Amino acid sequence: MKRVFLSPAVIILLSLSVFPLLWSLGISFTDMQRGGSTIARQAAAAGITDGVGFLGMGFELTSRNYERLLDDGRLHSTVRNTMTYVFVGVTIQYLIGLGLATVLNQPFRGRNIVRVIFLMPMMMTPVAAAYTGRMFFDSNPLRSPLADFLRDFGKLLGLERGISVPWFTDTAWAPIAILIIDAWQWIPFMTLILLAGMQAIPDDIYEAARVDGANALEIFMRITVPILLPISMTVILIRGLEIFKIIDVVVVTTGGGPGSATESLTLYIFEQALSNGNYGYASAIAYVLLILVIIFATLFLMAGRRLAGGRRD
Amino acid sequence: MNRRRQLPFLRRKSRRPLWQSALLYAIVIFWCFIVLFPFYWLATTSVKRPIDVSRGPNYIPYIDFQPIPDHWEEMFGIQRESTERHFRNSLVSAAGSTILSVIIGAMAGYGLSRFKYYWGRLGWDNDNIAFWIISQRFLPPAIFIVPFVLLYNAFHLIDTYGGLILAYTMFNIPFAVWIMRDFFNGLPVDLEESARVDGATRWGAFMRIVLPLSAPGLVAVAIFSFIFAWNEYLFALMLTNFNAITMPVLIAGQNNTRGIEWWFISALTLMAVVPVIIIGLLLERFITRGLTAGAVKG
Repeated sequence: MKRVFLSPAVIILLSLSVFPLLWSLGISFTDMQRGGSTIARQAAAAGITDGVGFLGMGFELTSRNYERLLDDGRLHSTVRNTMTYVFVGVTIQYLIGLGLATVLNQPFRGRNIVRVIFLMPMMMTPVAAAYTGRMFFDSNPLRSPLADFLRDFGKLLGLERGISVPWFTDTAWAPIAILIIDAWQWIPFMTLILLAGMQAIPDDIYEAARVDGANALEIFMRITVPILLPISMTVILIRGLEIFKIIDVVVVTTGGGPGSATESLTLYIFEQALSNGNYGYASAIAYVLLILVIIFATLFLMAGRRLAGGRRD
Repeated sequence: MNRRRQLPFLRRKSRRPLWQSALLYAIVIFWCFIVLFPFYWLATTSVKRPIDVSRGPNYIPYIDFQPIPDHWEEMFGIQRESTERHFRNSLVSAAGSTILSVIIGAMAGYGLSRFKYYWGRLGWDNDNIAFWIISQRFLPPAIFIVPFVLLYNAFHLIDTYGGLILAYTMFNIPFAVWIMRDFFNGLPVDLEESARVDGATRWGAFMRIVLPLSAPGLVAVAIFSFIFAWNEYLFALMLTNFNAITMPVLIAGQNNTRGIEWWFISALTLMAVVPVIIIGLLLERFITRGLTAGAVKG
């Protein structure tokens, strides 16, 4: 009887998650391509129809995909970009989220409305957020309210032409624009979860600290931050793992460019698999991404356990 | 959030100096502006003439520019077939996967909460199984691109509702199981037991006693599943090519097919975003509960 409850979930995960995972590991060691592997196509051209390749399955076993990883410059820059998105993105989102949560934790009129407003960006499809971002990061002050503002702001500072930022055309600025779009969507998420964590802290603790003469900063650093540590770790881990998957914002805003300055790993894998049809190589890169994700999560959990160091009950 | 807990805050509020209150409101209003202004900009852009978009920026309707309904009329007029089809595709695939995720997630969550499992060969008990299930949620979807394309081609699932529903259900199940297990753990077993004493089967007790009681958890799971599937881009792009294309893919594709017509994209974007936001805001308390369920206990 008890199996009935668990089986549907397990069957779906085994067939659509575990099996594809193992299968793509296998594919990553073959020269499989869309329309057959090189060896199969050569054989077909020569008139041989079956019995080609490894066990006659029509493809060759090879470790070439993994050798190719080492000197693929575009791959290296996509790894670098993805790591930037993850580490810079998570750090910014967490710090601003924590600051906002601290502010919202003060009692004020209209807090519930603010909470509702904060839910809005994260319910927006990232594709839409990215298009909106594109309107704002247009460098032409005739079209973009942000460029308009920066120009006037710069003039106010005494610059003759105002400030103009080449958001999507400059290799240094383009990743920043993408980071800002992602941050706009997800800082409210950080804020709401950290706020929930803060509101779960009983007031007696604060009262006791205040009676002992602690000031606001001490209370924040010695009480709020340590108590929020577990929830902070969780939320940082969740966001970090989510940013590893980034593709939609990049596709819509820059398409990976200029050059490959903003291309993410997921986008590169997608292009290798669907635009170029290199199934074997795409799978090998996907495994690089998976290993990066696993390393990130493991190091993070280990660090978290050490930081929490027996403080948790 | 009961009365007793709020009292010290209220006391502190009366002591707060004016400059602190001013700073507090300034920060709150500034950030609300950051969050809301892009939505305002989308809404106004969708009723601007093209010339008002490129020769602006024009901020306030009727003062800076004359709003026109043309782009909305186009979306529901000439483009009606396309708009309806993509909207329906999003709706069907999101709703279908939501229903499946809620059912399957509730069943597995209940199982993990009430029975003892032991997978001998792996040496896994309930906690290991639950951890394995949630860990699937965090696998990078990129790793599924190649196998899914091959699998879906083999089973002729490309460009079908069934294919999208299946994929989204797979992505939503881990989270659904996690939330529902958490929820059932907090639900006392007495009620089910008394129902079973009265002769109900385990399944009957689950359907008639447990599920109605767990409505808040089910709603939270449903919202999250729906929003995820509604907003998903990568798999929708990869597994559809005409009939089943969803709203996000349609929006992302505007870039190539029609040049950048910001006014039309804005209308389309609002069309994709507003329904979800309305659902979300109506069911806001369930979302907050669901968000914090896993994390706060973390």
